[in-house]
Amino acid sequence: MRFESPQTTKDAVALLAGAKGKGRVLAGGTDLLVQMKSGMAAPDVIVDIKRIPAMKSIKAEKDGMRVGAAVASAEMAEHAALAKGWPGVVEAADLIGSTQIQGRATLAGNLCNGSPAADSVPAMAAIGAKARVVGPKKRRDVLVEKIVTGPGKISLAKDELIESILLPKRPPRSGDAYLRFIPRTEMDIAVAGAAVSLTLDTKGVCTDARVIIGAVGPRIIDVKDGAKALIGTKVDKAALKAMEAACSAAATPIDDKRGTKEFRKHVVGVLARRAGQIALKRAKGSK
Amino acid sequence: MSARQIGRRLPRKEDRRLLTGAGRFVDDLRFEGELHVAFLRSPHAHARIDTLDTAQAAAMPGVAGIFTIADLTTDGVLDIPPFFLPKEVEGREIFAPAQPVLARDHVRQIGEAVAMVVAECASLARDATERIVVTYTPLPATVETATADAPGSAIVWPEAPDNLCYIHEIGDAAATAAAFAKAAHIVERRIVNNRLIIHSIEPRAVIALPPDSDGRQTIHTNGQTPHRVRDKSVELLGLPAGSLRCVIGDVGGAFGMKNMIYPETLSVLWAARRLGRPVRWPGSNGEGFVTDSQARDHVSDAALALDTEGRILGFRTVNRANLGAYATNMGTLSPVAGIPASCGPYRIPAAHVQVRAVLTNTVRTDVFRGAGRPEAINLIERLIEAAAEEMGIDRVELRRRNMIGPADLPHETPTGLVYDSGDFPATLDRAREIADLDGFGARRAESEARGCLRGLGLVPYVEANGGPGMTEPTDLITTPDGGVTVLSGMMSNGQGHETAFAQIVADRFGLDPDEVEIVQGDTDRVKHGMGTAGSRSLVLDGTAMHLAMETLVELARPIAGHLLEAAPADLAFEDGGFVIAGTDRRIAMREVFRAAHDPARLPPGDAPGLEAHAEFTPGKHAHPNGCHIAEVEVDPDTGRVRVLRYSCVQDIGLVINPMIVEGQIHGGLAHGLGQALLEDTRYDAEGQLLSGSLMDYCLPRADDMPDISIILEGTPCPSNPLGVKGVGESAAMPSPPAITAALLDALAPLGVHDIDMPATPQAVWRTIRNAAPAPQP
Ligand SMILES: Cc1cc2nc3c(=O)[nH]c(=O)nc-3n(C[C@H](O)[C@H](O)[C@H](O)COP(=O)(O)OP(=O)(O)OC[C@H]3O[C@@H](n4cnc5c(N)ncnc54)[C@H](O)[C@@H]3O)c2cc1C
Repeated sequence: MRFESPQTTKDAVALLAGAKGKGRVLAGGTDLLVQMKSGMAAPDVIVDIKRIPAMKSIKAEKDGMRVGAAVASAEMAEHAALAKGWPGVVEAADLIGSTQIQGRATLAGNLCNGSPAADSVPAMAAIGAKARVVGPKKRRDVLVEKIVTGPGKISLAKDELIESILLPKRPPRSGDAYLRFIPRTEMDIAVAGAAVSLTLDTKGVCTDARVIIGAVGPRIIDVKDGAKALIGTKVDKAALKAMEAACSAAATPIDDKRGTKEFRKHVVGVLARRAGQIALKRAKGSK
Repeated sequence: MSARQIGRRLPRKEDRRLLTGAGRFVDDLRFEGELHVAFLRSPHAHARIDTLDTAQAAAMPGVAGIFTIADLTTDGVLDIPPFFLPKEVEGREIFAPAQPVLARDHVRQIGEAVAMVVAECASLARDATERIVVTYTPLPATVETATADAPGSAIVWPEAPDNLCYIHEIGDAAATAAAFAKAAHIVERRIVNNRLIIHSIEPRAVIALPPDSDGRQTIHTNGQTPHRVRDKSVELLGLPAGSLRCVIGDVGGAFGMKNMIYPETLSVLWAARRLGRPVRWPGSNGEGFVTDSQARDHVSDAALALDTEGRILGFRTVNRANLGAYATNMGTLSPVAGIPASCGPYRIPAAHVQVRAVLTNTVRTDVFRGAGRPEAINLIERLIEAAAEEMGIDRVELRRRNMIGPADLPHETPTGLVYDSGDFPATLDRAREIADLDGFGARRAESEARGCLRGLGLVPYVEANGGPGMTEPTDLITTPDGGVTVLSGMMSNGQGHETAFAQIVADRFGLDPDEVEIVQGDTDRVKHGMGTAGSRSLVLDGTAMHLAMETLVELARPIAGHLLEAAPADLAFEDGGFVIAGTDRRIAMREVFRAAHDPARLPPGDAPGLEAHAEFTPGKHAHPNGCHIAEVEVDPDTGRVRVLRYSCVQDIGLVINPMIVEGQIHGGLAHGLGQALLEDTRYDAEGQLLSGSLMDYCLPRADDMPDISIILEGTPCPSNPLGVKGVGESAAMPSPPAITAALLDALAPLGVHDIDMPATPQAVWRTIRNAAPAPQP
């Protein structure tokens, strides 16, 4: 097994492209190292991206905020502008693991691990986050929800990696929120998760909304009926109730020891309703 | 005047090393030339072993040996038997299957060790287990406690076609039937004391050294009972008495689960002897889930008979207790030992209990924090809650009406306990005061304003520990620098003995606690002892120390007389030293101890050295008691329950170190809260453990715990001269029913009358939904 710490994205991509056998990107390693220890992953080349300056920074751009692929969730939580502009994404990343895990875990790692229960992914999808995917020949910007294709499966080619994630600039009077349900209060895999992003007009009528649910299907689910239930309303009780029902209906969870199907369908609706209430408050609070 | 040490919140002496990483656990030890063990474990809960081929694995370079039960049997290694057999009902015979050290022909629980690999390194040993070829014929499994002894259940042992190990009864069946016959009201409930996976932070571990030139072996392990490990290992391995030394260092949690002789204890010892090299087996967390003894798992059909006023006339229950696949160690004891506590602090004229111990294809169960008393207390308290609801009598009032008062003591229960101290009604009142019951209405309204439900549960209890039939020896040895070394046969595994025991001795002799050293966990230094279990270390060993100190005072008197140039009879012992009565001439014990080692200062002809031995055999149990009040909040939309307030008043007799006591209560509550709300042990129908890791088994954590108000108030224990009652298990007993009662109180407006533990969010949500088809959000 080879371990490499390139200094540039280009070198990192070249290492992946040139890898004999399996190459794996190492960000925080909070998934990858666990998988390697248990024998689930045995890469031939490990490409550590934490030495690449472009991947370690949070930068404001014209279109929004660009978060490097090696930025740890703890750094995001401490970034005032990020926490203010995209509170739903930041609070989702801040739910990952414990303080120790948060010192390492990244958004891109959470995404590329491909877990249906990944906490930051519904939150990113709700605000339309875009991953910058870089390969040997070209780079492309891809909506986050296009990255994961199934449990543990992603759409990146063998020689591609994510360099950064763009959190697009928020329109005025927008708010987002993420909530998850676990049997205890922290450090657990979500039984269900829900992210809501919405935008209001000056009269308080919802003009745009996205409702994304997680952990209740093989991948995240974009609940279009949930969004529709909010758009055109003042996000009142009835609208939230309708959105809750749409989420419960859209969820396709399995029965497992962590929760029964019916419980997960119910709870994901409750979470979406509550996330909607928080997002609404945030939208009203912002100018 | 010397400072009192008893009653001080002295920081624990052991914490400096534990908090700075200097604790000494088994896996910290390294020995020259050691070999590593891995076990091949059964993937089936019930199967016949058809073939077992170790040849390929044995041929791997670096593998020192692969062993099966045949190797052990050839050397005369015995199966692990039960250490206790209850009295069987007439006309039946007990069938208590011992556990082979490695599987013999059949496997009967998941994770059972089938073969043992010993190799030059741990990963090689693990790899070699995968080269062992076993073919099994899977057999149908029995898992469910409630139906294990019903016709049609798969047979775990052909010798017991009804899957019954024993049926044991206590109390008076006829008197109880008569009480039920004249009852105005009878409440009946099926009550489940859910199965728990005990879990210690430090997994079980064994390192065995090969025989030395005298043929003696040393075992380093973690546990609660060094002398039992020594004596039982020697017995089961067929070794000569005196040929084994057991050493136990710091212990990272035990809770009863490390009270045992496990198969690994014996096989690793045997392998070190066989191979002539040190052999180590540090168990892993994952192995612990399927090899550590599990606990509780009783299904009870219980009933209470009451008159029109709500006075209890009788109590009866049939408890099915799931022993798992084998009846070894104290697994047979656990279902019967705690039953007498089922009368609570109540006047119950007649009681009858039948225990049906069933064998199943699940991991063996055994004693765990409370060992039967939590189960018993849960039964009576759940029945009282149900009776109050059905009869429309206030829950506290119903309890008060039946409560034994101080004037009634001593009181003998129909289950055979004799309560001798405590003021149960006063304790209950005090608990209500500190729990601020008057403010509950406002707190409930505040919860409701947030869309949540709030409930309160109150549980008074009495338990019994440290009873007749137990004897604990102790030695106090003075040191030349004026201190005392205590040779204690107990084994601290988180209880803070080094500190609390030192306080007892320091208090009496006017010493600093640092001048008192507590020696435990080395059977070459401490010759005998019962080990730590059942809340009784202080009751037994503390009292033995107390008695030994009395002896030591008398042995020291002539030396003090010589030093003070006074007649020994004229000396009074007070404040940690001797005074010549009526004068201010005194000598501190520290000085007397020093002189005892200095021939120049001893009475002519006295040999240097001063030590005392004592043993304590309690004539009767100690009865700690108390009252616990839980307040919970339920989110009806998600079923999430939070314990928001918890208050308790504990009568544990004399308190040596309140801080340590509070820590024990915190820990006991964590276990009780986990049992009530979180810890869900699940087997599937084939006997596969579904909740086999911390990912799926929800152990409580610090943030699940409420702040706890604790009042320590009570009466000295009359049955030992030190006056202590024991506390280690206490909070694990009343807390599950207190939390459950609070939860049911919260859910009552939704029409919920009953719920099983653990009340996980999902279970609560389902219960709410089933009770009321359309609950309001
Ligand atoms: C104790 C513990 C608790 C946890 N709790 C949670 C939780 O509450 N919620 C949750 O969602 N997750 C949780 N996780 C999982 C994990 O921490 C998160 O998924 C985390 O975000 C992964 O980020 P990472 O940087 O550590 O990823 P890594 O482990 O470095 O990588 C994960 C995967 O993504 C690939 N990868 C990483 N970066 C890139 C990139 N830039 N381009 C292409 N591929 C890439 C890697 O090759 C690997 O396959 C927990 C893990 C642990 C150990």
